[in-house]
Amino acid sequence: MENINFVLSGLGGQGILFMTKLLAQSAVNKGLKILVAETHGMAQRGGSVVSHLRVGGVRGSLVRAGSAHILLALEENEAYRNIPFLAKGGKLYANAPKTSFPRKEVRPYLEKIGIECRSIPASDIAVKLAAPMSTNLALLGFFSAFQEGPISYDELKETIAQVSPDRFREINLKVFDKGFEGGSE
Amino acid sequence: MKQKEIFLGNGAIALGLLEAGCQVVTSYPGTPSSEILPEVVRLIKSAGLNTYVEWSTNEKVAFDNAFAAAVSGKRAACCMKQVGLNVAADSLMSAAYIGTTGGFVIISCDDPGPHSSQTEQDTRLMARFAKVPVLDPSSPEEARQMVGVAFDLSEEFQVPVIVRPAIRVCHARENLTWGGLKNNDQKASFEKNPGRWAATPRFRFILHGELNRKLKEIGRRFEKLDPFNFHDLKSGEKYPLGILAGGVPYSVVRDILSDEDRKDIPVLKMCAPHPFPEGLAKEFMSACEKVLVIEETDTVIEYFLRDREKVLGRFSGHIPSEGELVPEVIYGLINKTLEELQMKGLSSEGHESAIELVKGLELPIRKPTLCPGCPHRASFFAIRKARPKAIFTSDIGCYTLGINLGGVDTCLDMGAGITMASGFYHSFAHDQVEQPIVATIGDSTFYHSGPAGLLNAVYNDSRFILVILDNQTTAMTGMQPTPGLGIRADGTKGKTIPLERVVAGCGVDFIETVDPYDLKAMVKLIKKAAEYTSDPAGGVAVIIARHPCVIAYREEAIPQKKEIVVTEDCVECNFCHDWFECPALYKDPDLERTAVDQTLCAQCGVCLEICPKGAIIEA
Repeated sequence: MENINFVLSGLGGQGILFMTKLLAQSAVNKGLKILVAETHGMAQRGGSVVSHLRVGGVRGSLVRAGSAHILLALEENEAYRNIPFLAKGGKLYANAPKTSFPRKEVRPYLEKIGIECRSIPASDIAVKLAAPMSTNLALLGFFSAFQEGPISYDELKETIAQVSPDRFREINLKVFDKGFEGGSE
Repeated sequence: MKQKEIFLGNGAIALGLLEAGCQVVTSYPGTPSSEILPEVVRLIKSAGLNTYVEWSTNEKVAFDNAFAAAVSGKRAACCMKQVGLNVAADSLMSAAYIGTTGGFVIISCDDPGPHSSQTEQDTRLMARFAKVPVLDPSSPEEARQMVGVAFDLSEEFQVPVIVRPAIRVCHARENLTWGGLKNNDQKASFEKNPGRWAATPRFRFILHGELNRKLKEIGRRFEKLDPFNFHDLKSGEKYPLGILAGGVPYSVVRDILSDEDRKDIPVLKMCAPHPFPEGLAKEFMSACEKVLVIEETDTVIEYFLRDREKVLGRFSGHIPSEGELVPEVIYGLINKTLEELQMKGLSSEGHESAIELVKGLELPIRKPTLCPGCPHRASFFAIRKARPKAIFTSDIGCYTLGINLGGVDTCLDMGAGITMASGFYHSFAHDQVEQPIVATIGDSTFYHSGPAGLLNAVYNDSRFILVILDNQTTAMTGMQPTPGLGIRADGTKGKTIPLERVVAGCGVDFIETVDPYDLKAMVKLIKKAAEYTSDPAGGVAVIIARHPCVIAYREEAIPQKKEIVVTEDCVECNFCHDWFECPALYKDPDLERTAVDQTLCAQCGVCLEICPKGAIIEA
């Protein structure tokens, strides 16, 4: 299998680390090698949070700019901030309004290097299900609907059931499925 | 039974420690090292081991405690961040000469970037300075293996060994297979030998000679320390360019050369750089016309390479001398070197134009800030209000972010909030100027290195107000307990040592405690403290601003929640943003005034006291 590089971005408190864990654990569950790079410490206090996930036989944990196959952004501006990571032909999934994303200034570049952009108001989905902290799961569910990368919807779902704390399992799966529905439409 | 698990790099290090039979682990938290000890605790609990663990009060204390354990024949380790090793440097220099009996490993984590440190210093240089061996892992799995090798070396040569993982090892995650951890039953014993354990200068000279002989021998070992030190030269072949790399940059270089399928560029991996494997380096250099040296963050390997004509590195300007060597930086500098040597370049990159594009978008700058509800925000507001003309000396911790509120003017190192305050005092008093000074320091930082400075300040009759920001945890590094809480590293009860008693022990006579959420009371108390510092019979005044951290204590930290709104009385004067900087207060462009982001608001209600127009009210 070819190596796959993910960049996950958002703000402190949005659950970037948990979303990364779900993808990483799913990959490990099917016998793939992974490396993750995380943001801790001072940078985590309200700042932009980014984590990198590399699936396959790689050595370094950081994704090189220009080499991410998939960018998952939990906030619109954090999606734009991380555009330089995207490889030619990469995919961008963002928590953003369906119609206005991406903003027009970035469109020519994204078109030039063949980036497919998909967005969903993931926060709204999470809020509607009374789980405002679960934007990450809504976006992950949305992403899983496009069968992009090495991890399937079923595999992610199994991991969510496996690693969620008991009291959040049901709602986590519900938000994830709602995101998936949004992507399947 | 073996199991597979995704480990944080610091967890891989913890695993390596326990697999090596380490019986004593001490630490003081500091990014990026903080998770090592908690991971040790997690593993010893799950495997039922009897390993002794402690959060020590500072890195020197951690060092000495582990060192003594090693002198008694046990395997022991101390873990810290790179600037923590500065605090323990006195011990390190001496311990190198004396040596150990049991294995003694120092884990000192570096922070190229820097992401969460005062400096980008290179622990490998510290190892050279102290004359001890150092290993520099390129991945979590390698860090785990190196810890075991470090213990073996330390025991065989009776010398402390440093392992220095950089942040990209500490905060990486990798899937590891593990299981079958066992207790090490090595018993403590101490054979008196003052000539060694309490060596006077005459004996030190002899010990220095012994250390030099040990290093020579270990250096020979490092010539063939596969898989940490090796090259992939083909016998008899000559190359226009070779790359010499160690630590995290080695992994990046390997990935790039493999992605680009560049078998024409040989690599010398040097993850055990000191004592320097001279022969290995010579062999590599002789087969290459030029050698690009990629190491983080200083010039340890490059310094030792003798054939300067061949070396491309920091001295020649080929490698940046500051900042993290992230993959795109290494990619760019390899490409530039290839171009300079008129060799085939790497495949084109293309992301540079994206960097320019993003710059032009004027995205919001998200600087780190104190959390909504943080008691430090209240303290800084009260301090600035009560003593607007003061110099605000501060310290290392979350509260360094008080800089955003105009409440922090200096930040040097752990404990300098106090020592710089006394220094400023005497400097101005020397000119007969009465300069108000308010120092701030966190509870954990105070226990770490506050008392010596405070004692000195009292003894030498300095005059300033010291506010100890007591949020009852070590917040910045992930909520480790402090002596003030009396909870130990493994969760068991220790003895509680209240700040008040320590402060009194330093000779301070003015000690008052206040809850900073009560802004009025705190402002009043600071004014009272200011009078005390000006009184000829007064002295240093200490205020303990005590309120639990809202992240560590959650609901408990805010017992009376208040829903906050901003009324039409807001005139957009910016006062609340400049002086209070709460993330929950934002400027709403539609309303043309400040508003409350209810999803962020912690409902602490402190802001009810701050608006000059009274526009912030309870709903």
